[in-house]
Amino acid sequence: MSDQKNEARLVEWRGRTSIFARLFLSVLLIVIITELIGTKTVDVRIAKIVLLPMLFAVVIATLITPDVLGKSITILRKVINKDEIALAGPLVALSLLPLAVRGGTLVGPAIGRVVQAGPALLLQELGNLGTIFIGLPVAIWLGFKREAVGATVSICREPTLGIISERYGIGSPEGTGALGTYLVGTVLGTVFFSILGSVALASRLHPYALAMACGVGSASMMTTSAGALAAAVPEMKDTILAYAATSNMLTGISGVYAEVFLALPLVNFLYDKISSRKRGKR
Amino acid sequence: MRFDTRNILNQLIILLLIGAIILAGQRVGYGAPVAGAIPGMLIIVAIAMFSIIIKELLPKIKFPAFAWASLIGLVLTMPFMPTAEPLLRYVKAVNYMAITTPILAFAGISVGNKISEFKRLSWRIVVISFVVFTGTFFGSAIVAHIVLKLQGII
Repeated sequence: MSDQKNEARLVEWRGRTSIFARLFLSVLLIVIITELIGTKTVDVRIAKIVLLPMLFAVVIATLITPDVLGKSITILRKVINKDEIALAGPLVALSLLPLAVRGGTLVGPAIGRVVQAGPALLLQELGNLGTIFIGLPVAIWLGFKREAVGATVSICREPTLGIISERYGIGSPEGTGALGTYLVGTVLGTVFFSILGSVALASRLHPYALAMACGVGSASMMTTSAGALAAAVPEMKDTILAYAATSNMLTGISGVYAEVFLALPLVNFLYDKISSRKRGKR
Repeated sequence: MRFDTRNILNQLIILLLIGAIILAGQRVGYGAPVAGAIPGMLIIVAIAMFSIIIKELLPKIKFPAFAWASLIGLVLTMPFMPTAEPLLRYVKAVNYMAITTPILAFAGISVGNKISEFKRLSWRIVVISFVVFTGTFFGSAIVAHIVLKLQGII
């Protein structure tokens, strides 16, 4: 509750207009610069790496903060300092809402296809929870504390950031973990998934099943992994791409609900189990 | 349950400012005219505000505003809904990717005081992320494989 009060104080602009002006103008400038740069594609032999404006935006925005370039450039420190950084937190959660609305309007028109898609597509969504059982122990083993909860609850695309920042705040350890996985996914996700899509056939799972697995809730990751998979099994190309796209759409719908009602309680339960056993050993 | 009107109003102002940044961004990045996208953006902001208010009014249901927002967008644009056609006509003028850019700019700034923490996460977060990606992928693939087998499709 105190978190909510704190957040209400942060988004209060009266008496804080200069903080608002500095933050919003900085973000406007970053957006204009990064949109001018546009989307860049780098051709590495194994895959095409797609660099979106949002990737440049997060890099530039991080660079202008006081602990990075602001350390040596006084004027930056005057524009972006701790008040602006504190305000940016709740603004992440707010600016995610338009994305949620727009995302919903992408899925609504295709609802018929989703309903027809069948039990396999629906049930494989539960498979996404599998990552918690593997990821969480690894994260704790590597020395993560509450960050592990945020980092391993899911593959951490935008919906996860929305949920985690509403529940814990983006500045919390959980928020740091989720943002970490999110950033790694943003920077290296397409490359990793394009490799995964092509080498996964070695698992002897059926290409149709692998196709459904490609829909992890990120359009770029789905496109690269399904593309790589289809290239490896060209005779099944059409079905692979259809299953992957539908599965991705489903994750877009069910992902939020699965995360709130299943993944988040599960990861917290396992975290308590593992950390209390660790304490018991000591 | 007290209803903080002032807080709601502050969030509305912020959403309108964010909407303006998105429109400026898609003007530069995608050559989308600003005026043509204003109605669509206002609809999006209205739905976003509506989801904030629902969440305020129903604090017992642990359903984030983000989920309300996507659910409302989904329901209103289902093919048989009378709202679908007019809503999509306006909302389509707002580019999905253009919305993501300011989010990441705010996110980048908000992690500004956690640089040392990220340094502490270091290479470990990359390892964990790859484990998470792989786990999600094969978790889904194994379940799908079993169900497709049971259905006799493969």
